[in-house]
Amino acid sequence: MDVDKLKAILEALKGTDVTRLTWAAGEETLDLRLGHPPAAPAVVQAMPIAAPVPAVVAQSAPAAAAPTPAASAAAAAAAKVESDKKTFTVNSPFVGTFYRSANPETPPFVDVGQQIAKGQVLCIVEAMKLMNEIEAEQPGKLVEVLIQNGSPVEYGEALFRFEPV
Amino acid sequence: MFHRILIANRGEIALRIIRAAHELGIETVAVHSTADRNSLHVRFADQSFCIGPPPSKESYLNIPALLSAAEVSGADAIHPGYGFLSENAEFAEMVIHAGLGWIGPRPEMLRMMGNKIRAKEAMKEAGLPQLPGSEGVIRDERELLKLAEKVGFPVILKAASGGGGRGMKIVREKEQLSQAYRTASAESLAAFGNGDMYVERYVEHPRHIEIQIVADEHGNVIHLGERECSVQRRHQKMLEESPSPALNDKLRERMGRVAVEAMKKIEYNNVGTIEFLLDERSEFYFMEMNTRIQVEHPVTESVTGIDLLKEQIRLAAGEELGRTQKSISMKGHAIECRVNAEDPVSFAPSPGLITAYNSPGGLGVRIDSAAYEQYRVLPFYDSMVAKLIVTADSRPAAIMRMRRALEEYIVEGIKTNIAFHKRLLRYEPFVQGRYDTRLVEKLLAENPA
Repeated sequence: MDVDKLKAILEALKGTDVTRLTWAAGEETLDLRLGHPPAAPAVVQAMPIAAPVPAVVAQSAPAAAAPTPAASAAAAAAAKVESDKKTFTVNSPFVGTFYRSANPETPPFVDVGQQIAKGQVLCIVEAMKLMNEIEAEQPGKLVEVLIQNGSPVEYGEALFRFEPV
Repeated sequence: MFHRILIANRGEIALRIIRAAHELGIETVAVHSTADRNSLHVRFADQSFCIGPPPSKESYLNIPALLSAAEVSGADAIHPGYGFLSENAEFAEMVIHAGLGWIGPRPEMLRMMGNKIRAKEAMKEAGLPQLPGSEGVIRDERELLKLAEKVGFPVILKAASGGGGRGMKIVREKEQLSQAYRTASAESLAAFGNGDMYVERYVEHPRHIEIQIVADEHGNVIHLGERECSVQRRHQKMLEESPSPALNDKLRERMGRVAVEAMKKIEYNNVGTIEFLLDERSEFYFMEMNTRIQVEHPVTESVTGIDLLKEQIRLAAGEELGRTQKSISMKGHAIECRVNAEDPVSFAPSPGLITAYNSPGGLGVRIDSAAYEQYRVLPFYDSMVAKLIVTADSRPAAIMRMRRALEEYIVEGIKTNIAFHKRLLRYEPFVQGRYDTRLVEKLLAENPA
């Protein structure tokens, strides 16, 4: 995807109340999340676009705006510091199977580095064929996903680690 | 045969089930509350899942969590143990509906025996002797008075949904009948959500004798003799033995025979226990049936050499009994003491951390327990810490062995009733085998600690 195309998409979304867009074409997928808090300033600043885009994550498109090594390193370092700082976890309310997305075709509800609003869906814990959406009880920045997609989880098991905002 | 069993229980019985399953080459899945994270059943099972917070209602009684854990773990059967959901017909039905094996009798059996009045009616029809009393629920006070006068005072009022001694009232005089009925019915309504009562003759010196039943799904039923469970305090069993000092071969054969015949009639399956009341004249009457494995099953295992838990699993998988009544022989004498975390004098529960622990050993000594040094006895669950079972050639030898084993039992940090058991094992009426359900009461009155 070239920058002009991206700009065009962002332009088209300006002024709408779309907060998330998932777009796939051939090998390319684009996952756009729009909103206020500048979650990954390094990435945003590196992008020559003046749009309210907190984070852009492109998958399986190596040429696109994947997080730079520097940014990843920064994130990792941040995560390390965060384990010392006050972080909080979101725990499973029951025993079941943990899913990061609504179905295998869709991207995860949330990703590391993302700002999460209170009430935002984080994942699904399936119990007895029922898909239970787990929502954030308080806002925060996601620093770590602790469980692998599709794994069993216990009652009280930590699913995500957040940094308070 | 099952491949992987989920154990919907905790403590010593969860451990007991794990042992049986592993010996059968079956994998096990433990479930636990957050408070039981460091329990032995969690440690020894092949997999474990935390299913909820400490209160039983949110963990061990949490049906969705249990079924979800079964699904996630890939279990193909559920063993409910005793207590908790073991006699819950709805749970059994849900387990079966989920395509899992239920290690217990069919739900209709649980339902039939879960209601005391329905159970009595069914067992009467199946030929078990009944104490004279009301046939079914008492409809009003007038009817109650008529019935009570017919069977003769004293009478006992019992809650249809009661159990473990709750919802019972003994009435010695006609004048107290109405008041007692109203109180008992209200209590029962509060405790069980059902105020239905029935009345029967009250036996002053009853013994509580139960018959162990083993049945397959192909119509074969046998019994494994009796357990004497008259050593009780407030209807809670404290010590059990087999055989009963009150039974001779003839009476044992008769009780066993009518029990087996009744079970054949109702097409009972899996293991179960029929509780009888034995009066002063050695007449026996049906009291209730427990549609699960019993706490005191080890005394039967000790004298018959049959692993009841393995039988339970095997039979639930549809296997044939493969034994006849004739093939069953009882050898020696077994006694079980329930060691509880409680004050030996006041019997108040004593939860807490076990700071030192030494369990007895040696020939003929068995411990079924989930306790260890640094184990915390939790206030959320029942106070039983261990079952100490001894087996010997004769009753006197078993008593000597139990005394010896109790001396070796060291549990520090919490209070236990070990001291009480030591007294009991030297109390003459017990040693003589001449006792009834009043024994503990008598001991406490005669020589208070």
